[in-house]
This record gives sequence, C-alpha cells and structure tokens, in this order.
Amino acid sequence: MEIAPGAVRDQTRQHDQQAALAALVDEYASTLYRVAFSVLRNATDAEDAVQEAFLRVLRHRDTLGEVRDHRVWLIRIVWNIVLDRKRRAKTRPETDDIADLARVLPARGLSAEDRAAAAQHHARVLACVEQLPGKEREVMLLSAFEELSSVEIAGVLGITESSVRSRLFRARNLMADLLNHARGVK
Amino acid sequence: MNQPTPIRPIIDRSEPEETLRMVAALPAPAGLEERIHAALEAAPASPKILAWPAQGGALRSWMRGAAAAAIVGVVAGGGWAIYSRVQPAAGPKMVELPRVTGSGGFSSAGAMRTPQTLSAPAVAQPAAPQAPVEAPQSIQAKKPAHRRAARPAQP
Repeated sequence: MEIAPGAVRDQTRQHDQQAALAALVDEYASTLYRVAFSVLRNATDAEDAVQEAFLRVLRHRDTLGEVRDHRVWLIRIVWNIVLDRKRRAKTRPETDDIADLARVLPARGLSAEDRAAAAQHHARVLACVEQLPGKEREVMLLSAFEELSSVEIAGVLGITESSVRSRLFRARNLMADLLNHARGVK
Repeated sequence: MNQPTPIRPIIDRSEPEETLRMVAALPAPAGLEERIHAALEAAPASPKILAWPAQGGALRSWMRGAAAAAIVGVVAGGGWAIYSRVQPAAGPKMVELPRVTGSGGFSSAGAMRTPQTLSAPAVAQPAAPQAPVEAPQSIQAKKPAHRRAARPAQP
C-alpha cells in the first residue's frame, strides 16, 4: 500500500505548525501571562487567558506564517481576551485585588513598618490607575512593560505611535492629579 | 524675600509607574508552559462539529448538490405554502370618485328645473276681471304723515 504524497505533505505541514506553536508557547507564555496579570490581577484568570490565547492561535495556525511580529500579535490577542474578561467579570470587588496585589509586590530590605507603608502606597497608586479613563489606563499599563516600545504598544492597541505618546502624557498628568487629591484627602 | 509657594506639591511622575513596573515584572508561575502544552494537546486540532467528511470525491460533490437542492426546495415550498394560505382581504373592486368639473366649464349647480308647459287649448270666454289689489298703497298710507313733514330740508 502506497501513501499519497499529498497526505505526507499535509502531515509534514501539521508537524511544522505544531512545532512552531510549541516554540511560541516556550518563548512568549511568560510575557503573555504578565500582560494578562497586569490587567486581571488574578493568577488563575491570567493563566486561563493565556491558555485561551494559545488555543485561538491553534485554531488559526494556518496563518502563523503570515504574521510578521509574533510577540506583538500574541500580546494583542491576549490583550483583547483580558479586556473582554474584565468587562464581563463584575462579581469580585477590585479593592480586594488591589490589596492582595500590593501585598505581594516585592519590598526587600525594608522593615515591617516600611513594608506596610509601601503596600499602602502601591494600593493607592493601583486604585488611582483604576480611576483613569480606559484609553489612558491601557497605554499606561502597557508602557510599564519595559520590553514593549511605543511602536509595539501602538501595534497592540491598533493606534498610531503619536496617539500612544499623547495618551501617556495625559495619563501621567491625570495620575499626578489623582495622587495629589488622594494625599490631600488623607 | 518670600519664596514662591508651589501651587501643588511636586510629584515625581515616574513614581506611579514604578508600581506598575513592579506589577509587570512579577514572575509567571512555575510550570505555566507545561500546562499550556498539555491544554493544546488536549484540544481538538480542528473543529469537528461542522466538518464535512473529507473522503468521497465525486460522491461528495453529488451529495452536496443534492443537499443544496433539498434546502432550496424546502425553503421555496414553505414560502409557497404560506403564500397560498394567506389570502389578501377582498376590497372594493371599483371606487366611484366624485366628478370634478373643470375650472372654466359651466356648472348646473344653481339651475332651477322648470317643467315643460303644454300648449293649452284656447279659452272661449275671458275670465272675469278681478279687483285690483291695493295692498301697496294701503301700506304706504299707514306710514305717519308727520314723519315726512318733520324731516329737515336738504341744504
């Protein structure tokens, strides 16, 4: 019995696609998780989002060869997933997430008192970030990732680089006002 | 000399971003890649729900055409069944509109119908003369004479 050359070709192509997908997982899963966690602030939700992103890639693996920048493409996929999830999940109060997150942020070399003050400060900053308008908040969150340039942030959000810069400028000013106000209230 | 007091306290702009940077730098949990690999292997490679059988060459194309024709027949038959059962309500076949006369034409709106008189036979004897009616004179006579006399003369 002979095996048709078309079937062999298909098998080879599928094998190549699976290998390419596995390489993408090994290379970018960690980055995607951090992006997802910065928005969702929950480890389980972030991991679910990353898995969903790679399952989407698996479904459209035929188009993998057409993608120019895999990193930006994957971050864009996971970014859309986490924004959609955050929009739908209204059950858990955000103050709980902020307090949990502020506690896990690194505070090495600090005394217990300083660590508590730092956690309080982080919580205040994160609460102010939540008060920012959506567009400014998105740019600010993505700009915190040092491996992403403004061009890449523009690619993730689907806007121009100048829009990224202007939104970031507005976000910084708004954050300064919000933090001043928060300190004045205290 | 007084120092100018700042309107608002100066805040280091990078301060809030430092917190966000720390959040962004939190490490991913151990074993994340392995769990994702396992999830990808467990997932079906292609959606099976609407997948058409891959085998069958000519038979497949024939079946596809037959299925398309059946769908078209069902849709058209259903449409015809509905159309044939639902009849439109019978309305008046002819509507009489009021006649409109032209603006410049003649109209018979104010015309009075007069019966046609027959030519009567000639009377042999003339009719007896009747007494003249003097009603108008008597009415005039009833008017008071002094009123006419009291009217001032026109200049």
